Amino acid sequence: MNVPLLFSQILNGLATGMLYALMGIGLSIITGVLNIPNFAHGALFALGAYFLYTLIQLTGNFWLALLLAPLGVGLLGVLIEYGGIRPLYKAGHDYQLLLTFGLSLIVTESIIIVWSPVGMSQLPPPILRGGVDLGITFYPKYRLFVMVSAALLVLGAWLFLEKTRYGAIMRAGIEDKEMVALLGIDIHRLFTAAFALGCVLAGIAGALTAPIRGLNPWMGVDMLGIAFVVVALAGLGNLLGSIVAGLLVGLAQSLVALVWPEASVAVIFAVMAAVLLVRPQGLFGIR
Amino acid sequence: MSKAWLAIVAAVVLLPVFVRQAIATEIWIFAIFGLGLNLLMGYTGLLSFGQATFFGSGAYVAGYLLKYYGVNVFLALGVGIVVGAVLAAAVGYLCVQRSGLYFIMLTFALNQMFYFTAYQWTTVTGGEDGMPGIPRPSVLGFDIHRPLAYYSAVAVLFLLSLWVMKCIVDSPLGKILQAIRENELRAEALGYNVPRMKLAAFVVGGAFSGLAGVLYAMLFGIVPLESIGFVFSGNVVFATLIGGSGSLYGPVIGSFVFIWLSESVSSMWARWPLLLGVAFVIVVLFFRGGVVEAWARFWIWRAVRRAPDAVQADASR
Amino acid sequence: MPLVRTERLTKSFGALTAVNEVSIEVEEGSLHSVIGPNGAGKTTFFNLLTGQHTPTSGRIIFDGHDIAGTPPHRVAHLGIARSFQRTSIFPTLSILDNVWLAAFARQESWRGLAWRRADRYPELTRRALVVLGEVGLSEKAGQPAREISHGEQRQLELAIALAAAPRLLLLDEPAAGLSPDETQKMVALVRKFKGRYTIILIEHKIDVVMTMSDRISVMHFGSVIAEGTPREIQRNPEVRRAYLGGVPAS
Repeated sequence: MNVPLLFSQILNGLATGMLYALMGIGLSIITGVLNIPNFAHGALFALGAYFLYTLIQLTGNFWLALLLAPLGVGLLGVLIEYGGIRPLYKAGHDYQLLLTFGLSLIVTESIIIVWSPVGMSQLPPPILRGGVDLGITFYPKYRLFVMVSAALLVLGAWLFLEKTRYGAIMRAGIEDKEMVALLGIDIHRLFTAAFALGCVLAGIAGALTAPIRGLNPWMGVDMLGIAFVVVALAGLGNLLGSIVAGLLVGLAQSLVALVWPEASVAVIFAVMAAVLLVRPQGLFGIR
Repeated sequence: MSKAWLAIVAAVVLLPVFVRQAIATEIWIFAIFGLGLNLLMGYTGLLSFGQATFFGSGAYVAGYLLKYYGVNVFLALGVGIVVGAVLAAAVGYLCVQRSGLYFIMLTFALNQMFYFTAYQWTTVTGGEDGMPGIPRPSVLGFDIHRPLAYYSAVAVLFLLSLWVMKCIVDSPLGKILQAIRENELRAEALGYNVPRMKLAAFVVGGAFSGLAGVLYAMLFGIVPLESIGFVFSGNVVFATLIGGSGSLYGPVIGSFVFIWLSESVSSMWARWPLLLGVAFVIVVLFFRGGVVEAWARFWIWRAVRRAPDAVQADASR
Repeated sequence: MPLVRTERLTKSFGALTAVNEVSIEVEEGSLHSVIGPNGAGKTTFFNLLTGQHTPTSGRIIFDGHDIAGTPPHRVAHLGIARSFQRTSIFPTLSILDNVWLAAFARQESWRGLAWRRADRYPELTRRALVVLGEVGLSEKAGQPAREISHGEQRQLELAIALAAAPRLLLLDEPAAGLSPDETQKMVALVRKFKGRYTIILIEHKIDVVMTMSDRISVMHFGSVIAEGTPREIQRNPEVRRAYLGGVPAS
């Protein structure tokens, strides 16, 4: 047993797991508050990465780009919510699905047109290049950064949702929209805010991923399925659940990659299927 | 024979006159695919966003048998139907336990699993390149290589599928599924095992999808990776919605619209999925109820516009 | 012989005990009413009988067997049918179909489930029309259920329960939302079925309950605080206190 390899795979799993958790939380918020199937979530993740790339080209500053790219995605989210989703609140999941699915096609194809159909790469900022000696193994600095910052973001999301008034409103919106409206809270603004927040989280996840895996126009599609897995396992609006599910999936994927690389993606879905067989309500759902 | 059937048979007979035979064949194949989805979506209220799982799997398995074992065409069709049905039973079993958004997400996620499996298993499926070289064996001695001959065979199968679906929809099961769509709790209180009924609908949908998959493979001689991908799943949802998911014939109309749309645009521009996405967005924002309802509304609007003149004429008499 | 009886039936949702050690006996062929203020646990009690909830403890003996925890779709086949407080029909299906589905479910065999045309079951269609006739909806049999008035929908709600040819009929506020005239009609209907079925009735309109019931159980905060004939209940000070909040008995 190659211990250094195992150790770095575990770290990889934790890093990707944190990103999966971020995606799951963002999707959970959108789907929970607005009650729509958001098939554009993966495309927004991809946009976060591509915005980062372009902003670095323009400003030369990774940190500025990392801040602005998710905000850009969030802004786009506001436009999408206002123009596309709001008219369809009452429409029924099939129309909402087609809308978000259509948007994901539009975004993916636009990425190909605006940037490139071919994959691109993005280097981490100079300060985060190279590796760090962790004793057991040498591990890339940037991945450690991703793990830490994703964890901080998840913590921030948790603090926002659990400890602030606005976060409480959002959680209430997931439980019972009618009640929230009856309490005099502007439900439209809540929906827009929730959607924008979800988009920002997806955008950050995408921006963070770019220096690790590079960019390609279909990076979002792969992520979408994984985000769905996380939410299906965790339950809508369940923050803690999304973290656990995300980490579980990330670790499963990276450990399986050690022994059977070809199956490393399919295994995510297999894990989901296995869990659902035993507990149809997900890891944390109530029957 | 009712008017609708007359119209459809006429369409089947006349279509190759107006449209290239390969496209005409594709329309009826896609219509079979849509019929299967519509039982789930329109009648039972289950929005399955992963029907390509069964379409593609049917195509791959039957295609493999056709290519490497030279099985006869009836066996291939049977395999496609059975593969679709069995996989639908497995996928359906996991999915019907959850409802609403979870159901949709699960069907998509499981679709992705099959997609990735097909993508990685290059030795069997050919991965990104797909599985070329699918033969078209003769049917009872008749050679179906010529486009018109294959068209006729597919058209017959389509009419058969439509008849089978009509029987199901008119049967007690059809009513039970609609009841489940309208009010699950009450249907359960009446004594119906709702998850089992949903599973039955799922299996039927899967069988139709698998059949369509095999026919598709034999039409183009190849099983492309896309046939098991989520874009395919989305396309059939779009086609069914645009035709009108409330009726039996909606998917047929939707198939016409969708195949015509995508065939004309895809030959013009490699980025045609962009236009497809735009079409999706426009349709859901402005044309809810599908083409059928929009058409009906248009005629009503015209009639209403004429009516004041008629009143005027009456009053002046 | 009681057709159904519950033994210390209890249902708790976490800290909230919605139904607390309720023991009720209902004789076959009688009409037994359950009354009480809002939130007393009456509908939860029905939900326990029909399997929508599983009891936390206690038994439900129906026709000699403990049926507690039976899932809802099996309960129907035991011969227990229920109407809902909030109208629960199939809106886009025709009135006839609404009732037909209830009758079909209870058939011994489901032959032809997926291939026989639904309108080729003459016996079922006849039965459905008979039930519709009893509640006065047979002229509207072909209309979609959502197109009829609220009062007529309450009649349909009753018809659906009857079409299942049950032994035990659970009626949850059949007169809910009805005008005085419509209430009269509903009362007449329920009275018609008294004796033919064993009925447990939840109702708020006390005058309705008093005139029709053989026995009444009064629930408050999940427990049965009084039980007896209508006369006995009228005189019971506990009941007055529960409903009227401490008005002294005259």
